[in-house]
Amino acid sequence: MPIVSAFLVPGSPLPRLKPEVLPWGRLATAMQRAGRALEASRPDAVLMYSTQWYAVLDELWLTRKRSEGLHVDANWYEYGDLPYDIHADIELGHACVAASARAGVHARGVNYDHFPLDTGTIVACDMLRIGTPERPLALASNNLYHDAATSEKLGAVALRCADELGKRVAVVAVGDLSGSQFREEIDLSSDRIGRVEDDRWNQRILRLIESGDVAQLRQVVPQYVQEAKVDMGFKHLYWLLGALKGRFAGARVHGYGPVYGCGAAVVEFIL
Amino acid sequence: MAQGEILAGFLAPHPPHLVYGENPPQNEPRSQGGWEPLRWAYERARASLEAMRPDVLLVHSPHWITLVGHHFLGVRRLTGKSVDPIFPNLFRYEFGLDVDVELAEACFEEGRKAGLVTKMMRNPNFRVDYGTITTLHMIRPQWDIPVVGISANNTPYYLNTKEGLAEMDLLGKATREAIRKTGRRAVLLASNTLSHWHFHEEPAIPEDMSKEHPQTMEGYQWDMRMIELWRKGRMAESFRLLPQFIEESFAEVKSGAFTWMHAAMGYPEIPAELYGYGTVIGTGNAVMEWNLQNRGLSRIDGGGASVSRSYGGARPHLVD
Repeated sequence: MPIVSAFLVPGSPLPRLKPEVLPWGRLATAMQRAGRALEASRPDAVLMYSTQWYAVLDELWLTRKRSEGLHVDANWYEYGDLPYDIHADIELGHACVAASARAGVHARGVNYDHFPLDTGTIVACDMLRIGTPERPLALASNNLYHDAATSEKLGAVALRCADELGKRVAVVAVGDLSGSQFREEIDLSSDRIGRVEDDRWNQRILRLIESGDVAQLRQVVPQYVQEAKVDMGFKHLYWLLGALKGRFAGARVHGYGPVYGCGAAVVEFIL
Repeated sequence: MAQGEILAGFLAPHPPHLVYGENPPQNEPRSQGGWEPLRWAYERARASLEAMRPDVLLVHSPHWITLVGHHFLGVRRLTGKSVDPIFPNLFRYEFGLDVDVELAEACFEEGRKAGLVTKMMRNPNFRVDYGTITTLHMIRPQWDIPVVGISANNTPYYLNTKEGLAEMDLLGKATREAIRKTGRRAVLLASNTLSHWHFHEEPAIPEDMSKEHPQTMEGYQWDMRMIELWRKGRMAESFRLLPQFIEESFAEVKSGAFTWMHAAMGYPEIPAELYGYGTVIGTGNAVMEWNLQNRGLSRIDGGGASVSRSYGGARPHLVD
């Protein structure tokens, strides 16, 4: 099996931009810890999916060798800029485009200067120290019309491509948990999960992930998605499950907390 | 100070295909044309705008999505290269726009007074969204009129259409008051598509018009029904139907620009000029103008001497 490590991390820029806010700083520390674990697993490349890279017509894969620029988040611009310099494994990216089509999903590569990479991708690369020449990305978009099953299929496609190319890969799914974001300006130091019920749901799901009970996880996630407004229907988990061939032994939760009312967690899967 | 005026409001959709089809020097990809009826519609809208000579263009775009409140561009000059995240093959555009910061700040203040959460965007490195840029290019490719850029708060999607559009109604009224207080002669741009069902695969040649058609018959029929009401000036009736239109045709007007614009204009019961209709990857797009100047309705009097109505109400009523 070519997978050497796997992670679920949040896509919010707040832990990166404002680590002095206590709960966000804890998530930032957890991201750094996960990044060290990822580095220690010595992958050749990183298979990554970000809920914030929206696609509509096709499944998009990053096929640009190096993407450089300065990103400003559309919502949190007042907290600063996000410079990026992201390297992609274009051999793996092109293989994923071709393999997606063979799996019945129309796909295209993206290789354009100034292409607007999403906040989640940029933050995850920065905090986990991936998308570097040593750990280049095979980056997948979130087609808004894809369901959980299609997302899982595409995760499996990415793994098969890595396997065929003989690459050892880390898998990173970027996205949040519950989605009850605050709608008004808040005192940042008082940030919390937006609803008590969401907090209970998030913690239940994280315990299930820690237990490695995938069957039970699959059973409850649809209800979790509905009741806790989970980011993009938790498609990032399904994509990751696809890449993990539907199984993992357990997980370590490096961090869990709020990002402006939404739930966020840094999870390292035990393979 | 001059008296504030809203000269007109345009429904000004933003498919990047229209810029691509036109082949302006700012856009990197080259096309063989395409979507001519919509581009010719914009030519007529441009001529009307030229005749009005406004001080400022205000544009509300569904592709600057904000979660906490309604945001306004607040940097005097913004430049950059805008690459469409969905259609990077069609739209890679070098832009530079001047912002009317004084009016943007007035909108911010009036919105806040109306009970909305509002924010000024002050980061000079901010990337202006492609919806704003496409609409502005199509209506005024010279880029010589200052702009107020307004985000689309996602309340209509996060909560529901009714509550979301009620916020856009307040935002429109706040915008009207800001224009009045600053004495601007303004034109409003609602950057919205109508029916929004679309293809899921792009034709091999994007500008191959033999492949272009409405994605659904239902969406097309809804577009025609609404356009017909607007051409006749039956606006109150159209606003009563708006939630159903949104629900049944997946209309992008859900994001609020259309409601914001008409609230700012005072919901005038006047007919619109239809400059043209066409589909873009199956979605319905109309370029239309509600001209207040020609009907003597452009001046904004103080103290609420205007047409006033709340979203979701019955017929508009005059209050003096």
